[in-house]
Amino acid sequence: MAEGHVFNSISLGGRGGTNIGQIKVHSGGIVWKKQGGGKAVEVDRSNISEIFWTKVPRSNQLGVRSKDGLYYKFIGFRDQEVASLTNFFRSSCGITPEEKQLSITGHNWGEVDFNGNMLAFLVGSKQAFEISLADVSQTQMQGKNDVLLEFHVDDTTGANEKDSLMEISFHIPNSNTQFVGDENRP
Amino acid sequence: GDNRSVSRSSTELVAYKNVNDLPPPRGEMMIQVDQKNEAILLPIYGSMVPFHIATVKTITSQSDTNRNCYVRIIFNVPGTPFSPHDANTLKNQGAIYLKEVSFRSKDPRHVNEVVAQIKTLRRQVAARESERAERAT
Repeated sequence: MAEGHVFNSISLGGRGGTNIGQIKVHSGGIVWKKQGGGKAVEVDRSNISEIFWTKVPRSNQLGVRSKDGLYYKFIGFRDQEVASLTNFFRSSCGITPEEKQLSITGHNWGEVDFNGNMLAFLVGSKQAFEISLADVSQTQMQGKNDVLLEFHVDDTTGANEKDSLMEISFHIPNSNTQFVGDENRP
Repeated sequence: GDNRSVSRSSTELVAYKNVNDLPPPRGEMMIQVDQKNEAILLPIYGSMVPFHIATVKTITSQSDTNRNCYVRIIFNVPGTPFSPHDANTLKNQGAIYLKEVSFRSKDPRHVNEVVAQIKTLRRQVAARESERAERAT
């Protein structure tokens, strides 16, 4: 019984949208398999660096950061499942999940934070969104204050996205002090 | 609650107060317009990310020869004329701004619809805000 927890209808979110599948959380790590076969994600316990819970519309999202800098998000957990999984992560994996809040104010100004391969846009210290720099094919400075990121075109994910993000750009005013003197990064 | 339509000013834009106020997830992820909360939602890495309509400066669409359809949204950033963020710009010294996003869409009809909806909503909110500003002076 203490072997692990299995949940169906858990979506893996990433570039291309979401795919639905089954997740198994056990003392050796996390395994997610796409419904109907195909894609699978496996993160060994020894490779997990951090675990996060985020409240999302109508459900909860499990965020898993691996030691090699990747970040996975699994969406579709109910509140009571969050409680039981939190206990499980603590007792069987020795990891205490943290709470990461979602920014829903709709602001387009905030901070940019880098962690591993991920670039997070934070508004008032809450996360608005996150993108993977591994999917960026090109970056460009536009003028003195704007940085443009272009994404790889990926038609192979088979995820459920009608509109796919191709480019994103950030404006860094001169008053910003976070990235002064570093013209290679936003 | 619906008291925000009266009390909210452009210096304190808030699209949503509670996570569950966001529209429920749909089967297919796409750009959405939430008229009631005056927000647009953009699919970014498997999440629907809200932006208040007043942060949107322009939205345009175009299609290429391969029948691909593109949507480009430009947001208000400081230093552009007539930006409604003037008060915020002062308050948010040091902030980084999301300036622009561009999406490729599989559905031209949906793109046309979304562009029209966003333009209309933007116009309505801008008209209301300027009317209020006028009344206040």
